Amino acid sequence: MAQQTQPHDLRAQMIPRWQDLLVTALILAAGTVIGNIFWQFAFTKANIISVFVLGTLLTSLFTKSYFCGVFSSVASVLLFNFFFTEPRLTLHAYEKGYPFTIAIMLIVSIITVTLAIQNIRNIEEKERAALLAKNEQLRADLLRAISHDLRTPLTSISGNAANLLANDAKLDEEARHQIALDIYDDSIWLINLVENLLSITRIEDGRMNLRLSTELVGEVIEEALRHTNRQNCRHNIRVDLPDELLLARMDARLIVQVLINLVDNAIKYTPDGSTITVAARQQDHFAVLSVTDDGPGIAPARQAHVFEMFYTGEHKVADSRRSLGLGLALCKGIVDAHGGTITLTDNTPHGCVFTFTVPLGEVTLHE
Amino acid sequence: MNKPLILVVEDDAPIRNLMTTTLKTHDYRYLVADCGEAALREAATSNPDIMLLDLGLPDLDGVEVIRRVRSWSDMPIIVISARSEDADKIEALDSGADDYLTKPFSVEELLARLRVTQRRLAAMHTSGSPVFTNGQLTIDFAAGCAFLDGKELHLTPIEYKLLCLMAHNCGKVLTHTYITQKVWGTSWENDVASLRVFMATLRKKLESAPGSPQYIQTHIGVGYRMMKIE
Repeated sequence: MAQQTQPHDLRAQMIPRWQDLLVTALILAAGTVIGNIFWQFAFTKANIISVFVLGTLLTSLFTKSYFCGVFSSVASVLLFNFFFTEPRLTLHAYEKGYPFTIAIMLIVSIITVTLAIQNIRNIEEKERAALLAKNEQLRADLLRAISHDLRTPLTSISGNAANLLANDAKLDEEARHQIALDIYDDSIWLINLVENLLSITRIEDGRMNLRLSTELVGEVIEEALRHTNRQNCRHNIRVDLPDELLLARMDARLIVQVLINLVDNAIKYTPDGSTITVAARQQDHFAVLSVTDDGPGIAPARQAHVFEMFYTGEHKVADSRRSLGLGLALCKGIVDAHGGTITLTDNTPHGCVFTFTVPLGEVTLHE
Repeated sequence: MNKPLILVVEDDAPIRNLMTTTLKTHDYRYLVADCGEAALREAATSNPDIMLLDLGLPDLDGVEVIRRVRSWSDMPIIVISARSEDADKIEALDSGADDYLTKPFSVEELLARLRVTQRRLAAMHTSGSPVFTNGQLTIDFAAGCAFLDGKELHLTPIEYKLLCLMAHNCGKVLTHTYITQKVWGTSWENDVASLRVFMATLRKKLESAPGSPQYIQTHIGVGYRMMKIE
């Protein structure tokens, strides 16, 4: 990160942007005007010099550029010499002390510029370090939560398999079937977790690396539903698409992950026989996708927290399956990275509606 | 149907066992190879019907194995990869693989892919005929028209071209790049987006239940495949 921005900083130091030059010119002009007012009131020259040094300091603060600072220092000295030393309106100076005054003024200005810019650099570096530390913290939290929660399914898988190995002959058909089922369920849980983790590793420096392409929303929904845990569930899953084709700019794999998480959540937290509707429509410049269920819903107090990482609510899940509180936080991260929003509202008479948006895509067709 | 001979190429012993156990319990005949060189040897000497190929082999890159086999044989190759990156699958498919499975895969998925490939094998023997039939779909290449359930489909030239391309490669996953190259001659970002739109309009005319497509399967980020219907 630091290496990436350094060349840019260097360039900014050498070649100032035109906005920076404008700021520099304005500050110099203001300094000259104020100096002139001081002159009218017969203030001492020291006051006028202070105004110019202050101007230089302000220039380096606003432009963050060495070039502008140094330019401002030299220009201040020349302007001072031109306007405020005898003879006025020339670059000559008669009084004996002037070369000394001007040298001091130049040195003070340049040191001021250097210190100011170093200070700005330091602050920026600290901010970068803080962001890095925050990401590190996030990763550490993630790792801790995962390592802890991985133990349970792994214990179940290895223990059940060991049981099968050691006591195969003593177990009846039904018991063996149950053991195999437990091993299967826990490994599926691990598989889903790994899919989410793979998506999370794509978050770098607080930003997500998106591979954007123009996708058909219908195809993306179809793909997501193929990967949800609907084989073993007794829910009615409906898809509600508009008649016209809906195209959106997205990283298809990540948006599929969002839909899988939302639909799997709906399956997990609603009783058998509930209806889950996946719908899509167009609104302004966005494709609006929603996953609606008619389950018990989420209490208003908890709704504000569902997108936080490691938030698992106080749900007692029917099958006592553990939840890491990663899924919805990841959904929010992915949707935010696309420049969309994700919200949770209540369904009437009961249930949840998760709605998220992704920017529309365009295509020119050539037959 | 006579059960085909499957060559399993996988260096990881537990996964190899999983696959051979699955094949055994479903009465397939099989051979195993644990590296690329052994796979090429077995493929040349035993003439298997289908190859299941792991991409991450200790000696050769899986894609290299595909290229070498393709230099002398059309045997269907199903690639198995732990890499979830689409680029790897696309490279394998463009090198001549017919289908792919991503680890972790389920036993049912493996068996389903084998069934699809077997149907494709059976269909390959009848290829070259001027009329293509798949389920309710019939294409008369000579007359340049397609029928669904006996009724003529009203297709635009591009839709017809797409349908023919899919039919000629029935059962095989075709990558976006391959299809756009064949239809437009280029493969820009916009071509792939156009392809999605034309494929969607084609499917609207072809599929009775758009939610669960019967003929054309989407592989997000990879491509499309026409399913062989029995």
